[in-house]
Amino acid sequence: MGIELRNVSKFNEGVQYVEDLDLSVEDGTFLAVVAPTWTGKTTLLRVIAGIQPPDKGKIFVDGEDVTGVHVRNRKVAMVYQQFINYPSFTVYENIASPLRVAGYSSKEIDKRVHDTAEQLKISELLKRYPQELSGGQQQRVAIARALVKEARIVLLDEPLGNLDYKLREDLRIELKNLAAEREAIFIYATPEPIDALAMASHVAIMHDRQILQYGEMQDVYLRPTHMKSGEYFSDPPMNFFNGHVSDGYAAISDDFKIPLSAMEVDLPEGNYMLGIRPHHIEVLENGSTEDTVNLNAVVELSEIVGSDTTLHLSHRGLEFIALSRSLELFALDETIRVSLNPRQIHVFDAQNQQIISNAAAAR
Amino acid sequence: MAKIELVNVSHSYTPGEYAVRDINLIWDDAVSSALLGPSGCGKTTLLKIISGLLQPTEGDVLLNGQRVNELRPKERNIAQVFQFPVVYETLNIFNNLAFPLRNRGYPESIVKERVREIAELLELTDQLKVNANSLSAAEKQLVSLGRGVIREDLSAILLDEPLTVIDPHQKWQLRRKLKQLQQRFEITMIYVTHDQHEALTFADQVTVMDTGIALQTGSPQDLHNRPEAPFVGYFIGSPGMNIFPASLNENQVQAGDFCYELVSDLVNQVNGQDLKIGIRPEFVEISQAKDSTGLECIVDAVHLTGTSKILDLVGAGLKFKARVDETANINAADTVRAIFPTEKTMIYQNDRLLAPVQQEILL
Repeated sequence: MGIELRNVSKFNEGVQYVEDLDLSVEDGTFLAVVAPTWTGKTTLLRVIAGIQPPDKGKIFVDGEDVTGVHVRNRKVAMVYQQFINYPSFTVYENIASPLRVAGYSSKEIDKRVHDTAEQLKISELLKRYPQELSGGQQQRVAIARALVKEARIVLLDEPLGNLDYKLREDLRIELKNLAAEREAIFIYATPEPIDALAMASHVAIMHDRQILQYGEMQDVYLRPTHMKSGEYFSDPPMNFFNGHVSDGYAAISDDFKIPLSAMEVDLPEGNYMLGIRPHHIEVLENGSTEDTVNLNAVVELSEIVGSDTTLHLSHRGLEFIALSRSLELFALDETIRVSLNPRQIHVFDAQNQQIISNAAAAR
Repeated sequence: MAKIELVNVSHSYTPGEYAVRDINLIWDDAVSSALLGPSGCGKTTLLKIISGLLQPTEGDVLLNGQRVNELRPKERNIAQVFQFPVVYETLNIFNNLAFPLRNRGYPESIVKERVREIAELLELTDQLKVNANSLSAAEKQLVSLGRGVIREDLSAILLDEPLTVIDPHQKWQLRRKLKQLQQRFEITMIYVTHDQHEALTFADQVTVMDTGIALQTGSPQDLHNRPEAPFVGYFIGSPGMNIFPASLNENQVQAGDFCYELVSDLVNQVNGQDLKIGIRPEFVEISQAKDSTGLECIVDAVHLTGTSKILDLVGAGLKFKARVDETANINAADTVRAIFPTEKTMIYQNDRLLAPVQQEILL
């Protein structure tokens, strides 16, 4: 049981956002569709919801072809980035509205509205109007309205995008718990890796109008099959270095060569793309350690993000990012020494960008 | 450039309700500083009081020691940069940058020299003849910034969420430019934002505000390592600080099964009213060894951040979070032991920091 998309294509205003896309989502899944903005995530969600029919291909829910079925006749609910509530309705009536349309009894409506409001911590706001609420509260109302009807599929299109980071932190945990209590399939579109990491059971990386990689969340994170997976599902994005392999070394520049033995891979001579996540590049206090490759880097900017520090670095024209799990501020243009953990390097084909070795993930 | 002081400043828009209260703050000449807090905390009111758009109902604004309450914005020589870039669309970049100087009758030779200097720093030299209406949002904001700093007789620049409309991938480059400008011209800059990332990255001196009160002013490290109010602990850092209600039994402060002996003069400061204990998730020490010290906890859930694991822990009569390395082999339902290192554990009374804990006693 679940959702299946077969060979789905969709144009919007002359632009093709989805092309020959296949996707199969099983029951109990919290799927995060991860991709940058303007890459077709919203179109995909609208097609799954039935708001727009696909131009080509078929959609099945629980084995039944629903391709031509209108959104009203499907058990779907959707939450958007923009908080959408009826301004002239109270919070209570906003949450109740899908139940009224579906013809529930007022007793049942009352019970469900109160239960859902409690889950979203908005019980005290039921008599208020949307314009009296903060952005975070308004989005809670919109989420409550989506969840109140026990939809088969809940689609969320960057619902936390307009909220500040402390609210996002709280709502991620709540959404994960709310989803766990329900039988619905959740599909959550986002450009933010942290959303997927915090909530999703499965991840689909969308690129070039198709699903580039699909799998269990941790597996997609640890084993990117394509450079774009590493780039999109990593915050900051995975760093990529052009490396030429010969004589047992991967040379990134004249004075920066990584022994293949340290990377624990065997590669034929040639050009590769070496991918490493920012937190596997470490700032050294002094000297070098045996199993790492060290290089000098100039700090373009150090930024505090949460309880971590992101360092924008350059080394002879190569730009890359390191992430330190503490607060470390450096002056602009200060030279520091960093080490790349060679065992955490993912090797990609320099031409087709496909993975060659995820040796890093084996550990 | 100038030193700015607020002395006992309070402001109320409606009698009896304070938007900001008892503010005493000093910005030394050439400091890079930020006012940080959630929406409605009073930071924009404070900004207007500094710029002269608003006269405080109580207290004084001093510029270089001189009271300037009655001076209008123009007379204070304070420039402002807003969320949305303000450029003259019909003028090219050169004439945009030159505008504030020509407006004040500077000779054209100085105008040219100054514009070239600023343009070089902002990397706009090649585009000086380009019309402003063809620029991206980021470029327009750069021009706004440049126009803000171009006058040498400026007292200070106030920046009000200046990166809101900038594409996320371009933000760090703008942040770097901003810091470069600040350091090169030694400008007093006050940056107002709700975003801790922006504030901590830009400023050497950050003031955290909530409900009209300035809770703490300090370096990013001060705010992180020694939050002087529970709200600062919550608002700075991700996830925020764990805060527990605590009770006083003779000379011992207790939260759950964590118990601390109050040492020396601290005893006299504690009256037991609204006591709280706070510790950051990254400072909690977790051990999986059975014979290790620390209090026994059950792992309720494990959240991934991509670089670390965040544990939800239940035990010792408390619920709290701890951050561990991504490689830690800890799963839900595991039993672990937790230690709150004394120097990283804070005692709060009436929402003010008394001191870090000095001595732990095991019950």
